Amino acid sequence: MSKKVLVVDDSKTALMMEREILARRTTYVCVTASDGQEAVEKAQLEHPDLVLMDVVMPRMNGFEACKLMRQQPGTREIPIVLVTTRGEESYMEAGFQSGCNDYITKPVDGAELVALLQSYLGE
Amino acid sequence: MNVQKSAAAVKRCAADPVNDPRLGAARKRLAESRGKEDAIEGLREIVANFLGSEEMGLFRVDQKAGSFQVCWSFGIDLDNYDLPRALGRDGLRRVLGGECHIDFSARDRSSATARAQAFIPIRVANQTIAILAILRLLPQKLAFDKGDMELFKLLSEEAAQPLFGGHSNPQTVRPGMNA
Repeated sequence: MSKKVLVVDDSKTALMMEREILARRTTYVCVTASDGQEAVEKAQLEHPDLVLMDVVMPRMNGFEACKLMRQQPGTREIPIVLVTTRGEESYMEAGFQSGCNDYITKPVDGAELVALLQSYLGE
Repeated sequence: MNVQKSAAAVKRCAADPVNDPRLGAARKRLAESRGKEDAIEGLREIVANFLGSEEMGLFRVDQKAGSFQVCWSFGIDLDNYDLPRALGRDGLRRVLGGECHIDFSARDRSSATARAQAFIPIRVANQTIAILAILRLLPQKLAFDKGDMELFKLLSEEAAQPLFGGHSNPQTVRPGMNA
C-alpha cells in the first residue's frame, strides 16, 4: 500500500511543485492543505504517513499546527517536516520546539526532498 | 536523515533541467492565473519558492519615453531605485535584447558577502516589455544554478501574457530604444 504524504502550503505554486515531485519521483500518495488549521483537520481524517508543512501561513502557522498535532493521539507519532524560506537559527529552534522532526529551507531541491522523505518512508 | 539510504535517490534525481519540476509548476501557475493580480502573486511565489528571493520588482519598459516604471515590488521599496544604473550600460543592452543579466558583484551591506542579482527580460514578439529584477537572495541560497537559468528563460518567454494580458502588444512601443 502506498505511503501517504500530507503537503501543506498556502502557496499554490509551492503545492504544485511538491505534488509534481512526489508524482514523478515517488509512489507516495499526496493530499494537500492550504493552512495549518486545515492541515490539523486533514491529518486527523487522512492519517498521513508524513506531513510536509510550510511555516508562514494564514489562519494557523506551521509551528502552531505542529504543536497541535503533537498533542492529539491520532497525529502524535506522524513525522513532520517543516519547510520554509526562513532559515534563521531562531526559526529552526522554534520549529524543533514545536515538535517537528526535520526542518528544511526553500528553495527546495527536488532530489534532496525525495531523499529526505525516503529516509522516513522508504522507497 | 539516513544518508546511505538517501544517496541512491539523490543520484537518481540528479539535477535535470528538462525534468525540473519547478518548470512544470511555474508554467502551470502562470497559465492558470486569473487576472493580473493573481499572475503577480504567482510570480512572487515562483521567485520566493523556486529562486530563493523575497526582494523583487517588476519594471515596465517604456521604449517611447526611454524610461522604466516600477509596476510592482515586493520586500523592497523601489521608488528611488535606478534600474539603468543597477544594470549598467552593457547589462541594460543585454536585457533589452532579450538576455538575462546576472550581477554577481552585488554586495549585501550587512554581511559584505556577495549576493547575486538577476534581471530577467519579460518578452513578447522579440521585444522586452518589462524587466523582473530579483534583488537579493535568501541567506541559504548562495547562487543561481543551471536550473535557475531555465526558469529565467521560462519567465522571460511565458510571463508577459498573464502579467500584462492585452496590454502586452509590443506594437504599442517603439523598438530600437538606446540602451
